Amino acid sequence: MTKAERETFEHFAERYRVAPAEVSRRVELAVIGGDWGANGYTTMAQASLLARELGLRPGVRLLDLGAGRGWPGLYLAAATGCRAVLADVPAEGLRAAAARARRENLADRAAPVAASARGLPFAPATFDAIVHTDVLC
Amino acid sequence: MLRACRRILRPCGRTAFFTIHPAAGLIGAQRRRASRDGPVAVATGRPHRQLLEAAGFSQVTETDCTAEFAAVTRAWIHQWEANRADLVALLGEAEVQERQAKRRAQLRAIEDGILARSLFTACRPAEPPEISQNQARCRNATVITPPEIP
Repeated sequence: MTKAERETFEHFAERYRVAPAEVSRRVELAVIGGDWGANGYTTMAQASLLARELGLRPGVRLLDLGAGRGWPGLYLAAATGCRAVLADVPAEGLRAAAARARRENLADRAAPVAASARGLPFAPATFDAIVHTDVLC
Repeated sequence: MLRACRRILRPCGRTAFFTIHPAAGLIGAQRRRASRDGPVAVATGRPHRQLLEAAGFSQVTETDCTAEFAAVTRAWIHQWEANRADLVALLGEAEVQERQAKRRAQLRAIEDGILARSLFTACRPAEPPEISQNQARCRNATVITPPEIP
């Protein structure tokens, strides 16, 4: 892992340690248009664009790299019916994603996985589509 | 990372991603400003089109989303000011000030043409691409290596 990657993971782990609050949800709704744990620059409209570009639909296997609390992978699973693996390093974000998946009855189609993009623990040709938003690559 | 993505995608599988990066054609000091004023994950390496093609992807498309990036950055700044009291209670004054200052610097960098955001899409070819075809596409052929074949 490079220094930049380590700093990025530490930065986001610190953010995810702050429990979701009503004000965070209110701000996210106003800025992004949704409340799926986003803290970046991908809007709901852009997430829908990703779904169209990737042809997401029931049965499609999607990997979201750097999924954080589940944005946008968890939303894409909910909106399109696809199966999503949510990969990231900070466990704090993945725990929030898993809890949201259970609340949305998505636990059978959305699986959080602690993994770095440097060492993805997946067999060749596992996924039909891969998405990531503003991660180092 | 993109090579790893290609390996785990099925043939004809697709990737799509947004990335924040220095605008094209910047000189050294401007690139350093892009890195300093951009988000923590701003990419400063080779252009993504080259990276995707070198990793063995085909049908690469790039769509500039910088105007939306600026609008969303402005919206974060505005909404944090509108909800400042609640955010200070949650995070503390120093944290709120620091994040707002960072966002304002980022917005200036976007407006000055230093920072950009793009959507890239690409496909894993059904068959391994010809190395010569990749070389023709890339500006710097010396860095091209044959794609891994799982």
